[in-house]
Amino acid sequence: MTAPVQSRERILSRIRTATASVSAPANQLADVYGRVARTYVRQGKLSNEKRLELMTERLREYDAGVVEATPAELAAVIAGQLESSGKRIFVAPAGLPKEWLAPGFDWKIDEQLTSAEIELTEGVVTASSCAIAESGTIVLHHGPAEGRRVISLLPDWHLCVLRASQVVETLPEYFDRFPKAPPLVTWISGPSATADIEMTRIKGVHGPRFLHVIVVRDDV
Amino acid sequence: MSAAILDPKLAPPFRDAVLPVLRNPMLRKNVAHATQVIQNKRAKLVAEKTDWQELRASASAIRTHVLENLGAYLEQFEERCTAAGGVVHWASDANEARAIILDLLRQENATEAIKIKTMTSAEIQLNPYLETAGITVHETDLAEIILQLGKEEPSHIVVPALHINRSQVREIFSRTMHLENLSDDPKALTAAARHYLREKFLRVPTAISGANFLIAETGAVAVVESEGNGRMCLTLPETMITVVGVEKVLPRFQDLEVMLQILARSATGERMNPYTSLWTGVTPGDGPQRFHVVLLDNERTSILARPKERQTLKCIRCAACMNHCPVYRQTGGHAYGSCYPGPIGAILTPQLMRMEYAQTLPFASSLCGACFEVCPVKIDIPAVLLDLRADAVNIERKEAKRAFDLMYLGLRVANTIFSRPWIFHTAQWFGRVGLRAFTGKDGWIKWLPSIGGRWTHNRDLRGLPSQSFHEWWAARAKETK
Repeated sequence: MTAPVQSRERILSRIRTATASVSAPANQLADVYGRVARTYVRQGKLSNEKRLELMTERLREYDAGVVEATPAELAAVIAGQLESSGKRIFVAPAGLPKEWLAPGFDWKIDEQLTSAEIELTEGVVTASSCAIAESGTIVLHHGPAEGRRVISLLPDWHLCVLRASQVVETLPEYFDRFPKAPPLVTWISGPSATADIEMTRIKGVHGPRFLHVIVVRDDV
Repeated sequence: MSAAILDPKLAPPFRDAVLPVLRNPMLRKNVAHATQVIQNKRAKLVAEKTDWQELRASASAIRTHVLENLGAYLEQFEERCTAAGGVVHWASDANEARAIILDLLRQENATEAIKIKTMTSAEIQLNPYLETAGITVHETDLAEIILQLGKEEPSHIVVPALHINRSQVREIFSRTMHLENLSDDPKALTAAARHYLREKFLRVPTAISGANFLIAETGAVAVVESEGNGRMCLTLPETMITVVGVEKVLPRFQDLEVMLQILARSATGERMNPYTSLWTGVTPGDGPQRFHVVLLDNERTSILARPKERQTLKCIRCAACMNHCPVYRQTGGHAYGSCYPGPIGAILTPQLMRMEYAQTLPFASSLCGACFEVCPVKIDIPAVLLDLRADAVNIERKEAKRAFDLMYLGLRVANTIFSRPWIFHTAQWFGRVGLRAFTGKDGWIKWLPSIGGRWTHNRDLRGLPSQSFHEWWAARAKETK
């Protein structure tokens, strides 16, 4: 086996030779990059109401459950969703607002729970960072109220709280909102699925099989 | 089927490899069905995207820009990924990549590893290598489990088991998972896989993945998937090893706004795939605390050095080209003798083999151009195919070392005739007179002697008309004067 350091130099030198006639000098690279044409749609055209309708429609196409709530109703709506899930043991991110932790359920607060402990829970409640209506995508940046990646993965049932003001229409609008990349991002478009057997879409392979979304109308 | 079947060094020429497939109606039916379903889904979602061509143009421009400045972006990725707690390794070829990965697994005292589907690992034949070294590899993508348990080979880069139908999957699962009463309902089969893998996700502390994109700006890595097995592998283990081709880098986080809009639509006909994960080095308290990236060259830099062929490396592995290829749709993937089948495989595989193997693949195309039309990053696959055909012919001629080559001589003669009008017209006259004896009353030639018989053996030939276009044009010019 060649020493890895040698391989690094060999690969980089081969790349430099191969691209010598086309590569930009280091001080001009950003300018050259900036000249890449981007004429695709950045901004959506839908009204606030239509954008939220589209988000709801897309989520339902993915078989996700969607309900709306006013900020004042939120705690009660969360409790109602938990009740109708038929499940009792829920995991919550350490930073989830305390009023979301509906009484009467067995809450496991994730302060570095082990995977085995999380596996024993039946559902999870998280906040979210953004949502993209066009593709029905929910984005988690795994902050304090969204939790570590594992807690929204192992439980079979995921209740995600989304504020209406977080919903954008197009994917480029998401990137405009977050120009600085968060270190961890999970884009979720519907529950886990596969079409590996005869292209038949089956819901729920390894991630949560059930996704429920509460859209909080903080915009009205 | 043995594991060696997809080794381009051992694979038979394409025209021989297709014969068993063409005689297997079940396989052809499975492939035709699956590719038709994806084609229809893709067409619907591309049609609703009013800026599809603009997205393609930008995706192509971004990938071209990356390749032209690959050195700068790779160094930037290495620096940022290292600063975020990742360890970057460089591998010149498959041997080096495998040795680095095995070495990392040995440092972890690993006897098992869980894996996210990665074509790059198939390219370097990682699984058989690790198995020989005593490490058990568990594939976790549903299609990959079907292949691994059924001792089958992948035939597609996005839906690797699309050549296998539900009753075949039922047979494989019930045999290897010891489930006697398993039904062939895809729901039940999927549930069986979920149950089978859950214990492995929770137990095995080491994972291997590929990557869809590396982000130079931040040192982040992105994996695009559907099932959640990727998220399991990226979250639960203590150590993650990602093996990825050097060409997979993107300049900035924001470039994902283009790539994520075209990838799922092209690959599976979805607006967005269920899960896309992005992680940056190591995050304390969340996910693997040891993270390695193995950057693989394996002849990619040779491809980069050739201006026309360079575009091969723009590929983001969506497989739209094979779903739309009239050749692939008849033959399926195995005939290509490589983990990369279809049109992209026909240009990528021989180049990864330095044209020493798989030279017949560039000929496995009708040059219809469907692949180019659907390619979301606008790789002109037909142009590269033609260029590689020329390479293959030149190599063959050189290797044959014949002083007298009938094909070469014939083409020289044709060149002389076609480039001089008076010779061409004379040849036409001789042709017309010469062929008259073989032309039937209906104007068709059904039989020719000698070398011409190779054509008429399978098809009829239109006899030459009594007046050529040139003659008709000249006569018309005279009349109108």
